[in-house]
This record gives sequence, C-alpha cells and structure tokens, in this order.
Amino acid sequence: MAIRSAEHAVGYGLERGTPELRSAGPITFGPDSILFVADSAAARIYAIAIEDASPVSGTRSLDVDRLDERLAAYLGVPADDVDIRGMAVDPATQGVYLSVARGRGAGSIPLILRVEDDGSLQEVSLRDVQYAQTGIDDAPAEDDERTDIRVLRDDEPGGQAYDARGTILQLVRESLRTVTVTDMAYVGGTLVVAGASNEEFTSTLRQIPFPFKGAAHSSSLEIFHVSHGKWETHSPIRTFVAYDDDMSVLASYTCTPIVKFSLRDLQGGDQARGHTVAELGAMNTPLGMVSFRRDGEEYLLVSNSRHELFKLSRKDLEAQESLTTPQAPVGAPRQSLPHHGVGRMASLNGETVLMLQRTPEGHVDLHSYSTASL
Amino acid sequence: MSGWAADLEDLSFQVVPAGLDGGSLPSMAGEVWIDGDVLRFTPRFPFAAGATYAVTVNGETATIERPAPDATPAAEVVAIHPDADEVPLNLLRIYVHFSAPMSEGFAARAVQMCRAGTGEPLQGTFLRQEPELWDAAHRRLTLFLDPARIKRGLVPNLEAGYPLTEGGPVVLRVTTEFRDAFGQPLRAQAERAYQVGAAIRARIDPATWRWAVPRAGTTEPLTLQFDRPLDHAMLGRCLWITDASGARLSGEATVAAGDRGWRFTPHRPWPEGRLQLTVDTTLEDVAGNAVAHVFDRDLTDPAHDPLDTRLLTLEFACN
Repeated sequence: MAIRSAEHAVGYGLERGTPELRSAGPITFGPDSILFVADSAAARIYAIAIEDASPVSGTRSLDVDRLDERLAAYLGVPADDVDIRGMAVDPATQGVYLSVARGRGAGSIPLILRVEDDGSLQEVSLRDVQYAQTGIDDAPAEDDERTDIRVLRDDEPGGQAYDARGTILQLVRESLRTVTVTDMAYVGGTLVVAGASNEEFTSTLRQIPFPFKGAAHSSSLEIFHVSHGKWETHSPIRTFVAYDDDMSVLASYTCTPIVKFSLRDLQGGDQARGHTVAELGAMNTPLGMVSFRRDGEEYLLVSNSRHELFKLSRKDLEAQESLTTPQAPVGAPRQSLPHHGVGRMASLNGETVLMLQRTPEGHVDLHSYSTASL
Repeated sequence: MSGWAADLEDLSFQVVPAGLDGGSLPSMAGEVWIDGDVLRFTPRFPFAAGATYAVTVNGETATIERPAPDATPAAEVVAIHPDADEVPLNLLRIYVHFSAPMSEGFAARAVQMCRAGTGEPLQGTFLRQEPELWDAAHRRLTLFLDPARIKRGLVPNLEAGYPLTEGGPVVLRVTTEFRDAFGQPLRAQAERAYQVGAAIRARIDPATWRWAVPRAGTTEPLTLQFDRPLDHAMLGRCLWITDASGARLSGEATVAAGDRGWRFTPHRPWPEGRLQLTVDTTLEDVAGNAVAHVFDRDLTDPAHDPLDTRLLTLEFACN
C-alpha cells in the first residue's frame, strides 16, 4: 500500500521535499512502496515514497526488446550514453523501476524511471515527494582531513564563497575517499548495504536501521572467508540476496567465491565468517542474484560476466560444507541455465523473474521468465 | 517551425537521436505545444552536446544538431601510484591522478597493463568494476588488479595465475581514449614502467620503520622510512602525530618518492617531551597487506596472525 497520508509518512520519518540526487545507483524497495536509492556521489541513501497510481493484480509479464534504445530515445541521447545502474520491483504494486545515468561526465543526470507493461517509460518525478536521507558513514571519515578543493560551475548549487582578489568563487571540499554502493536489500527491518571503498580493500557490510536515525547510524560487519581450509581473506561484496525467509544471505565477492552466512551473524558483533559454497572460475565477475520459490522449494540464481546463469537450491546450500580443496567446478551442485548475457535480476510477484540481458549485438533486453520455466 | 493551424491532436511529432529507429521507439520526453503559429518543443532533458536528432512532423523529417562545445583537450595524468620502480607479484591496486574531473565509463578501455618491450596488453589484469571507483571530484581513479587471481587457493589463481609475472616487466598505460568530464580526450598518453619482484605476504610492521627525529624547537621534518612501498592514498590519513595531551600536531604530511617514506613538517616548532605517532592499522601496502592483517592470511603460519587493535601508538621525543 503506497503511502497516502502524512501521518503514515511521519511514521517512517519521511518529510515532503525534493531530494537532489547527485547520482543514482542500486535501488531496492522497503516497506509500503518506499524506494531506497543509493547516491554514492553524495555518500547518501534516500528513502523515497513512490506514489504509484496503479497497483497491478494478477501475474504480470514484461518483455521489452532493446530497452537500452528505448531509454536512449526517451531520454534524448545516443544509445551508449545511457547506463542502467539498478533495477527493483515494488512488491506492493509489481511496478518495475530502473535507476539510470543519462550522459556521462559533468552533464550526467541521475534518474528513476518506471517501465510500464507496454514497454513505455515514465520518469518518476522526485519533486515534492515524501522522503528521508541518511549518510553512508564510514569510520574513520571523521578523522580524514584530506579533501580536494574544487571550484563549482555556475550552474552547480552549494559550496562556500571564496573571494579570489575580487572574483567570488564557489568552492566545495570533496573527499578523496569514497564508498561506492554495489548492492542493497531490505532485510528484517534493516537496510543492508554492500559497498566498495576506493582505497582500502575491505568487506564491510553496513546495516542501517529504517526509519533512519539521524545523519548516519550504521553498524559494520566484516565478513571473512576461508579459501580451501588454509587461507583466510576478506573482499568487498559485490551482490547479495537474502533467502530462507530472510534467515540467510548468499553473497558474491569481487574475487568470485560465493559465500553464505546467517542473519544471526548480521545482528551479532562486527565480524562474521562466510562459508564458501561455490566458486565461479577465472575472470568471471558475479553480476546479480535473485531468489524464487517453486513447488515448496527455494532456488537462487546467480548471473555472472562469463558463464551462463547458475541455479542453486537452498537445500544444497544448507548441506554444503565449506570448500576445502581447490577444484573446478566447485561447491554446491549448480545447474547452468541457457539464458545468455544476464545481468541484473529481480523477482516479479514471486512467479516471474525479470532479467536484464545483454544481446550479442550489445543491446539490453528486459525479459520475464516464469519460475516454472527456470 | 511555423504556420501551424492544426490541432495538437492531429499532429504527429517525434524527436529521436540519430542512429535510433524512430519507427518503433518513443519520442524524446518533453512538451509539445502550439504557440500561435509556432510549434514548440521543450525537451525534458537538454539536447546532448555533439548529438544529432531527427525531428519528424506529420511524416516529414529534418535533422538538427547541437554542436559540441569548442574545447581543446586539457586534462592530463599528473601521477600514477605506486610510485615505485618495482612492484610485487601480488600488486593489488593502482591509482591514476588526473589534472581535471574525468568521465566515468572509460577506465576499462583506456587503462592497460602491457608487457614491457612488446607493448602487448595483458588481458584480464584488472577487476571489472562497475561503477568505477573514483574520488568525489572524479580526479582520482582506483583500479584493482583481479584479486581472484592474486589470492592463493582460489580457482582463478590456480587456473589463470597471477595477473603479473615475476621478472616480467610491465608498463601501465593510460591512453587518450579517456574522456574528461566535458567529453574531451586526455591531452597525452601517460605511462609508468614497473619491474615485477617477489610477492609480499607479511603484515606491515611499524617496528621496522627507520626514523629521523628532528630537534625540539625546530620545524625540521620528521621522516619515516618503510621496508616496502605503502599505499599512497592511505598514507595520507593513517599516520598522525599527537602531543602528550593527545592533541594532534598540525603540519604538512607528504609521501616520499617511491612511496617508501613519510615526512611530517609541523607548522609550529616541535615541543620537547613525549610525542606519539599513531598508526591506523588498516594502513595497507601495495599488495593489500595491512598493519593488522595479511591480504591472504595463511592460517597455519603464526606470523600471519592478525592484530586485534585498530590504532597503534609509537612514542618518540624530539631532543
């Protein structure tokens, strides 16, 4: 049920206004059609109440060929100036949303768009919406005095005035160290955020309670894993999904192992051991994950840059011992599915999985697949 | 356009970027209206610089172009780190510093690790990172070499081996395919040559650092020499000096050439008495080993046991 009343919004800590995104990265839905948007450039996460007009009943199916071209045409730019940065489905309305970067460099515009049943696109206006924001905080940010000073362009708001011998310049201090959010999910009342630092190589998973409490109030979890019984390392988490009624998390690292850990680990303490359950092989980056149920059993899909789509079952993951010897293919039994070029995925109403697929010609299609077919 | 007497409803109007098939695609988002005898279109987003559009009204098409702004390439690479002649086999990360804000989306094609001599690019060296890792001003790019190929025991390390080869010199090349924030190419290609030495797999031990401690009452620099190149970015924030009361001394900190040293010049003369150097133990070397832990810790080696503390303090005094 989308937020209709001001009281309802206040309950989530939202206020009416216009969030000014500097970038739009991964997106995910929370309760009551509240969309979380990661703005890595501003080191912020927004919670925005989406006032979608039309909840859909029954099963939807959505297939849009050459979505990249449709986006380019709608946004009025050449096709390679559009970058899809995130995809999320509103469980309340089955609305399909994308976060998109229009253009690059100084002129890049971040946008949230909805994809309608007929493939048409609609910009989600962020003017005068109910929203809240929080910072992506990371100790020791407060002790980090390093900043880069930049002169703002005439059309950029903000900054501090500096008198340079009669000319007033608007300056802004920008931090050298940043965190780029790679994935987010709302799990058990908490927004779980995976990100990569542009300096240290860590595996910090941030947990931000929602409603947001003040500027930034997150706890961090370092996830280690052990390679083959002998080497313990950590790594930034690239993508993850909660499964088993939010009791477990399956995550993929930038260095390819797929690990599982329990929600209990997320809630207790600041370190956790992930159990490696599979490896993806050389020069292969995991791209997306989604879970779905069929015939009373739960399955997880993992898309990756080099191979086909992998399907693992919850049962096999639970039974999987931590990997101790290097071999390929490794770990929990997996099934390769024939879907090609799969990137981001999302569950649409539980009976359909949406997939963004890159074609050999370089286009991006959006397709629906029934869970029965997977 | 002028001379429009028709209703908006009878009008077929479409604006599409050139190269896209107008027949099956939506028109550019915006507002169309008739203003007297003029048909106006206000796009929701600005026309892209340097792009051509096909405008089709009632079946007739004309082309418009927004010219690219007159600009000459101005951005350059000002530094590449590690700033060392030799890097270890398990080098983890490099930084490219630019003189001006850059565009995202060009790192994969415009930064290459190449075999020295033949110049041939080494495939699969860098981790495919989307989005790219930039500082807030988009002037410093961080690239990680594929950690799956570096970490011992992982299948990619066994199948494909390290991205680098010990004894195989390389050249990091940043090409003019890179675009700055205004779409202009990099003014000139930049390169940095490296010898490749043995892998480094040990925690950074501040006890091995060599100190040159200045005299009290002067503003001479304090210098530290490390046993290996350390991460240039993290050196900028992981070391600081406090006095006996715990107050940080203000001054200029710089990383010495080769990324193997740190120099601190105080703004005010060094006091007499006890001072402390504080080390944030997350400080890493160029292979990802930190003061607190080894990048890929060997569980059977007690020398790899991690440090439990976040901050280490080392006392000294200027005499």
